Amino acid sequence: MKGSARAGSGDAQRGADTRVRSDVWDESPLPSNVHVGESVVFERTRQTLARFRSTRNPGLLLGDGVRVYHGTSFGVEPGGMVEIGDGSILAGAVFMCADRITVGRSVVMSYNVTIADCDFHPLDPDLRRRDAVANAPQGDQRERPPLITAPVVVEDGAWIGIGAIVLKGVRIGSRARIGAGAVVTADVPPGATLAGNPGRLQARGDLG
Amino acid sequence: MTVLDHDWYPAEVPPNVHLGERSWLYSSFSFVHHRSERDPSVRIGADSGVYVGSRFDLGPQGEVEIGRYCAVAGAIFASNARIVIGDYAFISHTVAFADSFAAVPPDARRAPDVAGARGSPRDIWLGADVWIGAHAVILGGAKIGNGAVIGAGAVLGTEVPDYAIVAGNPARIVGWVPPNAAGRSADRRTGAGD
Repeated sequence: MKGSARAGSGDAQRGADTRVRSDVWDESPLPSNVHVGESVVFERTRQTLARFRSTRNPGLLLGDGVRVYHGTSFGVEPGGMVEIGDGSILAGAVFMCADRITVGRSVVMSYNVTIADCDFHPLDPDLRRRDAVANAPQGDQRERPPLITAPVVVEDGAWIGIGAIVLKGVRIGSRARIGAGAVVTADVPPGATLAGNPGRLQARGDLG
Repeated sequence: MTVLDHDWYPAEVPPNVHLGERSWLYSSFSFVHHRSERDPSVRIGADSGVYVGSRFDLGPQGEVEIGRYCAVAGAIFASNARIVIGDYAFISHTVAFADSFAAVPPDARRAPDVAGARGSPRDIWLGADVWIGAHAVILGGAKIGNGAVIGAGAVLGTEVPDYAIVAGNPARIVGWVPPNAAGRSADRRTGAGD
C-alpha cells in the first residue's frame, strides 16, 4: 500500500515561528506494521501511537479514504490488531486492543468514543493483585496473568455517538446507531438504535 | 491577526474569533478544525476563560457566543449552527456541544455517507448561571434555562427549565436548585445579546 497520510490540516501549518509543529504532530516515519491506504487523512499527534505495541503485521490497517482526527489513539498490545475499513471517520476514538478490533466501511465514530476488546485485568481479586504487582513501575510484566479478550466488530455504515463506550465481544451490526454516552456490552442488530446508560434498544431512531 | 502571547501551538487565532477584555484562551490549537465563515464565528465574552482541551470544530455557518465570567474547562463545540452560552456558566471538562449525536469535524461532513444522512443543524441555547458536569453531551435543540445544573455524563437535546437539576442518559429532571435569600429574578437572563 502507498502511504499518503498527512499530519494536521493545512490551516494548522500556517504562521510557524519559534514554536514547532513537531511538539504536537508526530511526523516520524510510521511503524512498518502500520498500513495506510490511499487518500487517508491521518492527524497523527504524539499521543496517537504512543501505546501502539503491536508486533503483528499489519498491527494497524487504515483503508482507503479513512479520516483519523486528532484525539484518536491506538493502544494496541503485542498480539493485537486494529483494522479500519474504507471511508470510515474517527473523530476522536480511543482504541484499547489486545486481540482484534475490526471496523467496517463508512463507519462514523464521533468524539470521545472508547472501543476495548479486553478488560485488561482479571475479575478475580487475587489475580488482579498479582497483575497490580506485575504492572508496578519496577514490576515484571511477564508475570501478568493472561488477558481474557473477545474481538469487537463494528459493521459497515454504523454510527457511534459522542462519548459512547463499546466493550469486549460486541458486534455492532451494519447501519446501527449508538447514541451519545451509551455503554454497549452486548450485540446490536443491524439497523438498530441503542441509546442511554444502561444502553437500551430504541423503538424509534431519533438520537439528536 | 492575533497570536496569543502564551501559545505553545504555532498558529494564529482566526480573524473572525473575537476575544473579550481580560478573557483567556488556552491555545490556537482549539481552531485546528475551525471552518466557520461567520464573523464573529466565536465570541468569548469579557472575563471568561476557555481552557485546555477546548476545541471549536465549527462548520461554515457555525457560531459560538460565550458570555461574561464563564469558565469552559475543556469542551468540544462541533456544530454548523449557533451555540449561545449565557454569563457565569461553568462548563466542566470533556463536555460536548454538538448538532448531531455522531458529530464529526467539518472537513469530514463532506464525505458522501455522512452528508446525506444528516438533518439541518439545530441551535443550542444556555441561559445565565448554568453549570454543566464533566462528560455531559448537549445536542442541537437543547435550551437550558437560567441557573440549571446538568449532571456529569448527562445526555440531552431538549428544553431544561430554569433552575432544574437534570442528570442521566437520557437526562431527566432529578431536582431543583433551592431559592436563595436574594431571590431570583428574570432579569438575570443576560445570555443572548447582552
